[in-house]
Amino acid sequence: MSTAAAEGPADDGTAARARGLTKAYGAGETAVLALDSVDVDIARGRFTAVMGPSGSGKSTLMHCLAGLDTVSAGQIWLGGTEITGLRERELTRLRRDRIGFMFQSFNLIPTLNAAENITLPMDIAGRKPDEKWLDQVIDTLGLRDRLKHRPAQLSGGQQQRVACARALASRPELIFADEPTGNLDSRAGLEVLGFLREAVDQLGQTVVMVTHDPGAAAHSDLVLFLADGRIVDRMEDPTADAVLERMKRFDVGRGSSGPEED
Amino acid sequence: MLKATLRSFLAHKGRLMLSALAIVLSVAFVAGSLIFSDTVTRTFDRLFASTSADVTVDPKQDLKSSVPTGAVQTVPAALAGQVAKVAGVAGTHADVSVQNIVVVDGHNKSVGPTTGAPTIATDWYLTHRSPVKLTSGHAPQGAGQALLDADTADKKHVRIGDTLTVQAQPGTFRVEIVGIATFTTTNPGAALVFLDPAVAAKELLGSPGRATSISVDAAQGVTDAVLKGRIGAAIGTGTYDLKTADEQAKSSAADLGGFLDVIKYVMLGFAGIATLVGVFLIVNTFSMLIAQRTRELGLLRALGADRRQVRRSVLTEAVLLGLVGSTLGLGAGIGLALGLIKLMTAFGMNLKTTEMVIGWGTPVAAYVVGVGVTFVAAYLPARRAATVSPMAALADAEIAGIGKPLRTRAIVGGIVGALGAAALAGCATASKTASAASLLGLGVVLTLIATVIAGPLLVRPVIRVLGGAFPALFGPVGRMSQRNALRNPRRTGATAAALMVGLALVGGMSVASASMSKSFDQQIDRTLGADFIVQNSNFLPFTGEITDKVRGTAGVGLVVRQRFTPVAVRLPDGKRVTTTAAGYDSQVDQVAHVAYKGGDTAAALAPGSLGMNVTFAEDHKVRLGSVLAVEFPGGKRAEMKVGALSDQDSGSGFGTQGGLFFGIATVQKYVPGGQDSSLYVNRAPGTTADQLRSRLERTLAPYPQVQVRDQADYKKLVHDQIAVLLYLVYALLGLAIVIAVLGVVNTLALSVVERTREIGLLRAIGLARRQLRRMIRLESVVIAVFGAVLGLALGLVWGVCTQQVLALQGLKALAVPWGTIIAVVIGSAVVGIVAALLPALRASRMNVLAAIAHE
Repeated sequence: MSTAAAEGPADDGTAARARGLTKAYGAGETAVLALDSVDVDIARGRFTAVMGPSGSGKSTLMHCLAGLDTVSAGQIWLGGTEITGLRERELTRLRRDRIGFMFQSFNLIPTLNAAENITLPMDIAGRKPDEKWLDQVIDTLGLRDRLKHRPAQLSGGQQQRVACARALASRPELIFADEPTGNLDSRAGLEVLGFLREAVDQLGQTVVMVTHDPGAAAHSDLVLFLADGRIVDRMEDPTADAVLERMKRFDVGRGSSGPEED
Repeated sequence: MLKATLRSFLAHKGRLMLSALAIVLSVAFVAGSLIFSDTVTRTFDRLFASTSADVTVDPKQDLKSSVPTGAVQTVPAALAGQVAKVAGVAGTHADVSVQNIVVVDGHNKSVGPTTGAPTIATDWYLTHRSPVKLTSGHAPQGAGQALLDADTADKKHVRIGDTLTVQAQPGTFRVEIVGIATFTTTNPGAALVFLDPAVAAKELLGSPGRATSISVDAAQGVTDAVLKGRIGAAIGTGTYDLKTADEQAKSSAADLGGFLDVIKYVMLGFAGIATLVGVFLIVNTFSMLIAQRTRELGLLRALGADRRQVRRSVLTEAVLLGLVGSTLGLGAGIGLALGLIKLMTAFGMNLKTTEMVIGWGTPVAAYVVGVGVTFVAAYLPARRAATVSPMAALADAEIAGIGKPLRTRAIVGGIVGALGAAALAGCATASKTASAASLLGLGVVLTLIATVIAGPLLVRPVIRVLGGAFPALFGPVGRMSQRNALRNPRRTGATAAALMVGLALVGGMSVASASMSKSFDQQIDRTLGADFIVQNSNFLPFTGEITDKVRGTAGVGLVVRQRFTPVAVRLPDGKRVTTTAAGYDSQVDQVAHVAYKGGDTAAALAPGSLGMNVTFAEDHKVRLGSVLAVEFPGGKRAEMKVGALSDQDSGSGFGTQGGLFFGIATVQKYVPGGQDSSLYVNRAPGTTADQLRSRLERTLAPYPQVQVRDQADYKKLVHDQIAVLLYLVYALLGLAIVIAVLGVVNTLALSVVERTREIGLLRAIGLARRQLRRMIRLESVVIAVFGAVLGLALGLVWGVCTQQVLALQGLKALAVPWGTIIAVVIGSAVVGIVAALLPALRASRMNVLAAIAHE
């Protein structure tokens, strides 16, 4: 671990970093490479989008960076900590304390109300939430009058806002959002993207979002394009049209549909 | 559609496994008890059919006592010669066979069976019907020689040449074992001692001119029935019972049947509990499977399947499950019967496993129970499945059926509960035992049904309280487990119901038995004044020799004998009541404290008088001084005056209804040859209790059948008798708990599957495996404790009402065994933890990514 610490300096503006990240499914002849020796740096305080056609490995990349999935080869650091090689228990704690999550299908706990869902990661850890910060998050997301509601009593957009608040509440080093607008109509989707943008600009958070929607990607600071398990391109200050144009080139390259990986 | 059903059945076979196990258990008990009782019945029918004489002449059995009296009824031996003269009789024999003996070896140990089966002394008279043959040694010749059966000799290590002591009613004598007789048929478990016919009657009955029965051989071509008629015409049927071989075999089998029926009913009790609890498990499984498959069922409906088809497909699955469960259960039942037969062998009843009988009724019953129960249990869930709308296929379906109102349940549960409560209240205030008992039964059934129906309604309030401390104690994990238990009240209610049923039974029985123990204690304290009681632990009477020896022991001041006899009394209200009366020596006041409403002990025990329980007397319009016609065994009658009315409890539950008692001289007069059942002993002045005890123990050393007890020992003996009943209940409870645990495991396992995505998310945002396991464990504990609290509350009510019924029989004390109840609640929490082991492990092993992506 000492070499890892040396290679992954704690404070160089990088929230997460991967080197030679490889993920293979299966073994031998039938092995499929979901990630093929990927090097990536996620800049702190920025909104990074990961795009790519179905099966390009974008979700796998996110899962590996978040410590949800094991890697076949390569190294990943979160801040100054190398997470590849951590044991299950340490990974669980890392996810709990340093990472926030948003999923396509909200994934709120139906038995808990909005407020309880938001503070759940800190409750699990047995930590007191930072009340000032929590108030700020709740007000930013406009959830003040919804705190006592159960998920079943909330609309999809409101549920995703609760999920967003949960991801922000513990002020994690990094927030991973997996297709956060996938299950929302365009208006609610825009709202959520606006909140993620605000989280970065006003609250100083770091967000990594996986999406296949060029419009959503346009809200980010940087788009990374994945194809066949490699990062093939990057685009600073993207616009929806530019992203769409770039994506079209993938379609020409490999046909419009591949096997869905998730 | 059938194809889809089969596929679905196979796809869910893992989830149906626990339900199948519940069916297997109930069917196994049903099949096992049927096979066992068929086998035993066939074995003994054969035994008695082959050993019964063509016609048997017995003394008239006019009054049968449920309390053993030790008296042997006889016929004159000369009757054999008289019967031999009847046309068509080929031969007769005067049998001597008694059970009122004890045989002890050189170390003062009884050689009789320890299982409650009798020791029989009989004359050695070998015919083609004898169940034994001589396998070593020679036949007994004259006094002082005897044969012993091989099984007993083997078990008690008696060899040819050993000397045994036979304590018979006429007197104790010693015999040398000169030969061993081996059973050629099934040994029913008794110990047999054979004496020379020349001396048997004198030594066992006290007179060479008596016999216990006459066996008659029919001549060729004369049927048993015809011969019975002719013998009856010759000797009269007024004083004798005549039986053909068939009748004799049936009556012998019926005598043995009582014991075997107990085993059969215990087994059927187990089957009943297993079935009852299994129903909850199956209902829950099918409800959950249907909830989980809402979208799939909706799709079937959207594709054009009508409601009937959906319902039928669910029921077909249930029938398939029932068939599989019944088949396995039948196999398990055969195994269970084998085990029981082996167990009987250990008790000395040598049944042969190769002669196992599987009648056609057994598989029929097995499949009817297995398939029937599954079908019935799945019917409601199937109807619910049929109401799934085609829209469910399209909706982003969360699990259906969670928030449906429980109004129907509330109304039905309320009505049934009110009826049950009314019945219980009625039983508590009733004054007649018979009506109180039937009201109690009705109340128990109705309140049980009401609680099962209304259980889901109680889930919210009770679990709020039970799990109220969870959030504070266990943080968010505790909060989530409490909420999960509240999530689907129907499911939680049904899961807990399985545990509830068993614990309600236990609660009720433990209150009843604790109350009985306490009542007996109080009664013993109140009435028993003797220093010591000499008694058999099974309350069997003993020979007069023991009484004489006790009287002769140094330091004994007073001995009061107690002796029972069956009687029938004709009462002023026209009723004829058959009961057992007790005879006492006149100094009974010095060993017992009896309060009288009228008259006194002297008046009751005077010749030609009797005493009676005052309540019984009032019920039947008997007054002090009334003269009643009393019948004694052997057709003897007497007019007796009621000399005293006592407060003594009537004890109708113990065969002594009416609490009749008189002087022991009356018993001796009408029932000669009876034996004493108890001796109440007071010490002489100047002798300490310890001294007397050790002297009595020395005196009684050669008589292993009786023991000396002081009041504390006597209480313990009574408690032990009550405890036997409790052990049975605990065994039933054990089975109910096993199945209830299966139910909790089942519910949790299916819930875990249902909540896969949620669990995945919790793991993703940092819930440790240990915390996840704890969450499921706590949910399980709260469900189990909910069931326990509900069950015990119900059981307490039942127990208190049962005590009210018992109070009518004089058991007036109420005792609630709080220790047992608290132990059961703690035990149920442990049950919850055990039940959660596998589901929790399974949940914590889930792959986080796969779980989040789970549909």
